[in-house]
Amino acid sequence: MQGVAEIVLLPLLGAITIGLFKGIMPKKLPGIWASLLVGISFLVSIGMDLKLASLPPGHRVISGIFFPWITGFGPAIDWRYYLDPLSGIWILIITGVGMLIHIYSIGYMHDDPHKARYFSYLNFFVFAMLLLVLAGNLLILLIGWALVGLASYLLIGFWYHRPSAVRAAKKAFVMNTVGDAGILVGLALLYIHFHTVSYSGLFRIFDASHSSAFFEWTAFLLYLGAMAKSAQFPLHMWLVDAMEGPTPVSALIHAATMVTAGVYLMTRLYPLLRVAPVLAYIVAAIGALMTILAASSAIFQRDIKKVLAYSTVSQLGYMFLAVGVGAFTAGVFHFMMHAFFKALLFLGAGSVIHALGGEQDMNKMGGLWRKMPWTTWTFLAATLAISGIPPFSGYYSKEAILGETFNLGHPFLWLIGAVAAGMTTFYMFRLFFLTFFGKPRDEKLYEHAHEAPAVMTVPIVILGIGAVFGGFLGTWLNHWLLPAFRMYKGAPYAAIQYGPLWTTGFTLGLAVVAFIIAFILYIRKGTSTNAATEKGVGRWAFNAWYVDAMWTYLAVVPFKAIGNSVRQAEVGILAGVKGLGTVVWDWAQDLRPLETGYIRRYALSIMVGLGALLAYYLIRV
Amino acid sequence: MVLLWLMAIPLIGSFVVLIAGGRLAKGLSAGIGVIELIAFIVLLAHGPVALNYRWIPAWGVRFHVGADGLSLFLIGLTAVLTLMAIFASRGSFGRAYFFWVLFLEFGMVGLFESLDLVLFYVFWEVILVPIFFLLTGYSGEKGRPAAMKWLIMNLVGSLFMLIGIVAVAVIHAQPFGSLTFEISRLTDVKLGPAVAPWIFASFFVAFAIKAPLWPFHGWMPDAYREAPPPVTALLSGVMSKAGIYGFLRIMLPLFMPQLRHYQVGLLIFAVIGLAYGAFMALRQTDMKMISAYSSLSHMGMMALGVFSLTAAGILGATFLMVAHGLIVGGLFIVLGILEDKTKTREVEVMGGLNDDAPRLGAYFLFFALAALGLPGLPGFVGEYLIIQGLVAHDVVFALIAAVVLIVAAWYMVRLFQGVMQAQRRGSPIGDINALQVGYIASLALLIVFLGVYPAGITLHAAPSLYHAVHLVATKGGHGL
Repeated sequence: MQGVAEIVLLPLLGAITIGLFKGIMPKKLPGIWASLLVGISFLVSIGMDLKLASLPPGHRVISGIFFPWITGFGPAIDWRYYLDPLSGIWILIITGVGMLIHIYSIGYMHDDPHKARYFSYLNFFVFAMLLLVLAGNLLILLIGWALVGLASYLLIGFWYHRPSAVRAAKKAFVMNTVGDAGILVGLALLYIHFHTVSYSGLFRIFDASHSSAFFEWTAFLLYLGAMAKSAQFPLHMWLVDAMEGPTPVSALIHAATMVTAGVYLMTRLYPLLRVAPVLAYIVAAIGALMTILAASSAIFQRDIKKVLAYSTVSQLGYMFLAVGVGAFTAGVFHFMMHAFFKALLFLGAGSVIHALGGEQDMNKMGGLWRKMPWTTWTFLAATLAISGIPPFSGYYSKEAILGETFNLGHPFLWLIGAVAAGMTTFYMFRLFFLTFFGKPRDEKLYEHAHEAPAVMTVPIVILGIGAVFGGFLGTWLNHWLLPAFRMYKGAPYAAIQYGPLWTTGFTLGLAVVAFIIAFILYIRKGTSTNAATEKGVGRWAFNAWYVDAMWTYLAVVPFKAIGNSVRQAEVGILAGVKGLGTVVWDWAQDLRPLETGYIRRYALSIMVGLGALLAYYLIRV
Repeated sequence: MVLLWLMAIPLIGSFVVLIAGGRLAKGLSAGIGVIELIAFIVLLAHGPVALNYRWIPAWGVRFHVGADGLSLFLIGLTAVLTLMAIFASRGSFGRAYFFWVLFLEFGMVGLFESLDLVLFYVFWEVILVPIFFLLTGYSGEKGRPAAMKWLIMNLVGSLFMLIGIVAVAVIHAQPFGSLTFEISRLTDVKLGPAVAPWIFASFFVAFAIKAPLWPFHGWMPDAYREAPPPVTALLSGVMSKAGIYGFLRIMLPLFMPQLRHYQVGLLIFAVIGLAYGAFMALRQTDMKMISAYSSLSHMGMMALGVFSLTAAGILGATFLMVAHGLIVGGLFIVLGILEDKTKTREVEVMGGLNDDAPRLGAYFLFFALAALGLPGLPGFVGEYLIIQGLVAHDVVFALIAAVVLIVAAWYMVRLFQGVMQAQRRGSPIGDINALQVGYIASLALLIVFLGVYPAGITLHAAPSLYHAVHLVATKGGHGL
């Protein structure tokens, strides 16, 4: 219990203290305080992981109960925590990358009058995410899950005067609720059948079971939650809109925390995927679909953050592909590398946006490398990493996923992933060239551009180290995670394995070709705008294949129509009540003449009534 | 004795306020509310208690009151929410207003304590009076028709129930010859197939009107809209629970065979109400109406829990009664403050008010999130248990309920954003003052506590529900 509580509660403490006392805090304090608490949480996380490492492999679980959540009927559901190598990785990334993003935010939000509120939300976000990954049963996970959704709602809608931010926040919240509802029903089903929702209890049951339709459907409901949180088709559009929040928030949402929750859940539930093989294949297939669908959209975007947003969706696709085919360690590996380079990319983009006074359109950038050397070169490192160029980090993790997909007999999914990898190289270098190279396309903005202060560049550089050298962690990760994946059945191929050499050659070849095309288009020819987005495939891809429109027509419009017809029905019901009243009133009016006030009339009616009664009994007898 | 004190404090207090009131009426009532709350805490420390006196020996009517896990927390809810409503009320309403509020508290506490059907019926009627006067005297010109509609519909329900009560007691008395109205002794009543549906319906209609459940909610929109916000908070927070409480206290022990027989139909009714309220809330523009229809939807949710006839569902309904009472009470109080400040209830003419009133905004968001059932807050606890109960019965109902939860997130966020966020509209308003922060924050804290540690309630409530649950288990239901 010692340690785990601190990891989770320190950021919560920050959120509460800043929220309550922001009025009397000195202006600079919230940022420092918030960063400090996440930093301590990070140190405690390291300590806990070391403690975990000191246990014999195969028994590396620290779990227990704080107090009961609900009791009364059947087995109690507790506030249970569960720290194992898997959640151990997650807490390191959440607190570590989270801390860097906090520090960076001190610089980024320097001039914002509401930065205290911002840091309060940011700390709350980290708290919710830690609760999610340290939960020891599905119910506590769901609480963390929903609080993460709330935190994203608050941060996406941070600038709540912008109608677009308000819309994006609402969309994120409602789409996330779809996932919450899925998990809710899924976990109720599990509880009803197995009388437990704790991981250890459930996994033992999964181990002793065979695949069945019940498990497929339960896994589907839980996957629905993962879809919503991790932006898988068709619940992914909120993530693209989520850039309405301040840029460091995007880094936090896209890289370190929220969107990887789904990957975490599916990885955590690997014993369930064994008994739900069809669902596992669907997870992989949708993952592969996402890699290429989002990459195609990223190619055509003009907004620097939108490119990165689609790239996140695409990269998440790889992680789900890994989980779906059973390459669990590779998925976690890619999650880690992605946390480094994607956080870096967003923070770098944030520096650019900050330097250009809020401009996000790449058509107005260009040539910034002279002004922002630190940002440029670290950004390049991250670009190489995400493009999968050796020896940068992304190469190792992406190849691990693709190679294993191929090895495990999914050549078609492999091909999709490999092509998407080539597209990734293209859109990332397109972004890089358009932003940092070529001629400045907006002289005025360029004049004012400047390198970010140290408080922003230092976190970027640290992330850069991870993005460059992270790939060498693969072997260690194998050692660290494999015992955890061996505890229960379901992950026979969890170890990182690379594919045949020619598959690697193929993806690398594609990457080189993509790089050359990007170089020719955006450096040689100096192409800037995309006329391609006006028509045909370009238009579809630019508009994210109209998934938003699909939602509008398949969900929003019908729901509003139901609302309208219900409103019609309500008019009917209220009129019915009134009508009933009127009928009674009319009866009363009809009966009024009877109330004449003459005693003899009353006496007569009493006599008639009495007579009738007597007659009735006489006849009966 | 504390049971009697719980009734006596608001009753005596109400007359004290009426006599001594004047300008002090609000402060005095608040004091009485606090004493009542202390009495409740004493009761809580006591645990389950009951008192049983002779009352009308000729008819076998007894003054049988008690507080078990089922009623204990509803009494607490009454005490808390009445105090909140007193704080939130304008002092200028005068002493009669506070008299009626305290009198209502007396009636509600009495109702929740009653374990004898006649006593139950008496309190059922007692609460009609204060509400009628609170509706007529302190709202706009539309208040009178709303109050009339409310009164007539509820009287109709009451009369049905009266017939039902007499019928049950008489039928029960036939083999033994002695009348009794005690619920615990009536449980072995054997209703013949000819009368059972009618008696069942007579109770059902009374409870469904009071809650209200769809489609018996005809009185609800007008009454909730026209009443002063603290009164709306009491109506939706406390009074509506009388209906659901009736299902749990009276129908479960007395009519289990009938409930089982009509179960699917009842579940369908409840689920329609659940969805109906949510979709109505989605299409409203009056912020009080959004909240009112969300309340209707939640009533459907509670009914689903009850009619699932599973332990989890029934426990969930019990929990949700308390949780929803506190949450919707807080929500109506916040909306009332907003209405007071902006002089409007139309979401479409408001916007961006968070700038002026960040603290109010924070609490508004909190109550909205609690109302939409955010996991970690108590509304979710109830909904989780109910969904678990429904899954045990039929997963289809659980899936529909889950979809409605999504709609709930949608309309609640829409309400909050429409008022507090987006483009700044309307004239500037001030933030809430320290006193308002004080009582709203304490309510919020209580809600957080219940969300984090629901075991505090379920631990107490479960044994009392055991009886009802036992019936379920023996008649082939799911024991879970």
